[in-house]
Amino acid sequence: MNNKGNRRSMWSLNLSTAAIALIPAAIGINYLGKLFAGLLRLPLWLDSIGTVLASILAGPVIGALAGIINNVIFGLTADPISTVYAVTSGAIGLVTGIMAYKGWVSSIKTAAITGLVVGLVAAVVSTPLNILFWGGQTGNVWGDAFFAYLINNNVPLWLASFGNSIIVDVPDKIATVLISYFIFKALPNNFKNIFRGGHEIEEL
Amino acid sequence: MSIIQVQELKYRYPDTERLALDNVSFEIEQGEFIGIVGRNKSGKSTLCYALAGLAPHFFGGGYGGKVVVNGLEIRASEIEEITSDVGLVFENPFSQMTGSKFTVFEEIAFGLENKGIDRTEMVQRIEESLFLLDIEEIKNKNPFSLSGGQMQRVAIASVIAMKPNVLILDEPTSQLDPQGSEDVFRVVENLAKEGITIVMAEHKIEKVAQYSDRVLLLDDGKLVDINTPEHIFSRDDLETHGILAPAATRIAQALDIRDPLTGLYPVTLAGIQRQRGEI
Amino acid sequence: MGAMTLYVKQRSPVHSMDPLTKILYVIVSIAVTYILRELWAIAAMTAVTFLLLVIGKVFRKIIPVLGLSLLLIVSIIVVQGFFNPENETVLFELGFLTFYEEGMRAAALFTLRILNMIGSFGVLILTTKPDDLVESLIKRGFSPRFGYILLSVLQLIPQMSATMGKITDAQRSRGMETDGNLWVRTKAFFPLIVPVVLNSLNETRERAIALEVRGFSSKGKRTFLNVTEDYPYRHVIRGVLLAVLIGAIVWRVWT
Repeated sequence: MNNKGNRRSMWSLNLSTAAIALIPAAIGINYLGKLFAGLLRLPLWLDSIGTVLASILAGPVIGALAGIINNVIFGLTADPISTVYAVTSGAIGLVTGIMAYKGWVSSIKTAAITGLVVGLVAAVVSTPLNILFWGGQTGNVWGDAFFAYLINNNVPLWLASFGNSIIVDVPDKIATVLISYFIFKALPNNFKNIFRGGHEIEEL
Repeated sequence: MSIIQVQELKYRYPDTERLALDNVSFEIEQGEFIGIVGRNKSGKSTLCYALAGLAPHFFGGGYGGKVVVNGLEIRASEIEEITSDVGLVFENPFSQMTGSKFTVFEEIAFGLENKGIDRTEMVQRIEESLFLLDIEEIKNKNPFSLSGGQMQRVAIASVIAMKPNVLILDEPTSQLDPQGSEDVFRVVENLAKEGITIVMAEHKIEKVAQYSDRVLLLDDGKLVDINTPEHIFSRDDLETHGILAPAATRIAQALDIRDPLTGLYPVTLAGIQRQRGEI
Repeated sequence: MGAMTLYVKQRSPVHSMDPLTKILYVIVSIAVTYILRELWAIAAMTAVTFLLLVIGKVFRKIIPVLGLSLLLIVSIIVVQGFFNPENETVLFELGFLTFYEEGMRAAALFTLRILNMIGSFGVLILTTKPDDLVESLIKRGFSPRFGYILLSVLQLIPQMSATMGKITDAQRSRGMETDGNLWVRTKAFFPLIVPVVLNSLNETRERAIALEVRGFSSKGKRTFLNVTEDYPYRHVIRGVLLAVLIGAIVWRVWT
């Protein structure tokens, strides 16, 4: 990652126009990632590649916004249920952005670890939402079967629901961050700095 | 005073070593039509960005020298001030549509809403731009349902509605089909007649020859020459700068048809006819 | 290719309501069904929501949207009905399956809440033009830059999908394997997604330039092409909604 020069704080809320325009693109990439995964019958969602890339390219603020707006938009245009998970998507963007800034998306190994952390965070955030809104389920067949099995064996509700989220989220997020890392590495250099904003102008 | 003054302009993109513009100086007068020519990567687009303030304010990078447009010093100004004076239109018509508007009329309003133009004046300016660009019949269509040529004219209308003194066009027709290109050139000519200063980077050399008052030749980020089309296209070293003279000039060279006073070759068919006393 | 929206063009009292009032309705009606635990109250709220859909002449349009959550609802009924830890009282038996009252009650509660959530979103999105919705938010102080993001997504995603069609065709014609084992299919993911990303980042950069040139970063006061409509009774309706919300909170705390 680009570490030279005096970079701005990753928490700057002074968002550049390029960073703003990146959000719709990120949401589009999320959507197409999901479609391609479906087309290839991959056993994963892969519906947050755009959010993760936006976080890597433009930091945690843009990443979180891309995640939140992604779910709000799908709530308003296709499936209202997805709005509930705006919090989860926001957390995914936030955590990826922070870890990428700290250099944790710079090799296959670090990207896989970031994916694991992102998956765990996603599960931690989703669990209370799932319990509050639908009593602990997710609507994912395998996850819910696992949930029913745990409940039936007297595992506490919150733990069963967390287990449900984990088996859905963790593998998906590891794959998502790895794929995003490979794509990021393949990007031409002029894409890597344009979205950060706050360009220094050097006198010649 | 000249509307555009460029003095010893140097510019380099961030994270690169090569100067995209290297010590470029020239002046442009109010109402002139300037064509910029040069091979790929010669700095045409960068010069357009520098006149519109995007270099350095959008891209960052290294900057030296001075650019003054309509009395505004670019380096010391903010993009939003510059955009009131300078309009920019570029290649890809699709990415110039904002995406947030659902009709052509609203699309043209986008910039005016941002600038806080009073509603009555806004509607009047939009109507005017629709007329100038000859796109009145598509004003209620969705911008994304248009052809490339129509979309490009909407992009120009959107910029023109902001009433810039200078319009910069960076290869506005290179992604359009012949009919679409022809329509765009026609409306740009109309705008020139309205007195707007026009700077157009363009590969289609015939069009540059036809419309330009003066032509600016760039090579490797350096200004080779800025002069009348006849001067530029009569240069012996034109091809070493990656430029092929217009067909009319090459025919005139083959037949040795020149202006007896200047010794220069004509650059258009009309020019040839003039020299042969046919007009 | 059109924009991504569920909006149904119609004339109805719900269509001519203020978008902000409809947003408030979504928030209040969802909040009320989660604040209260009484089945009758939640059923009543859900009934009001669906009545609004009928008045708005969009009831049939909500059915496919509800369909998306069918799996979730079935899962809730099965899991809660059989496995709810509080299950004690047998409601009925169907062969070897035993349904418990507590579980079925919980399932009914969650199902009604989900129906109301989807229905109330429907009241908003099926009867409100997206640009009217965003513009009314901006006029009330919502950031125009966020407004831009919301609206542009609606048009850019269909555009990107159209590009996707071209990319998949191109890759298929180059012999991309969409069949074969998991590893083969996983590898095929990259030649599909990479052009999409490159293309959209390039367009993003160019669009950012176009936006800058058209005063997107202007900090001054902005104006609007479309004049604000006057919505009768909006204050009364909002007052009633807030009263219902406060009433629900008081009821929950009281009982």
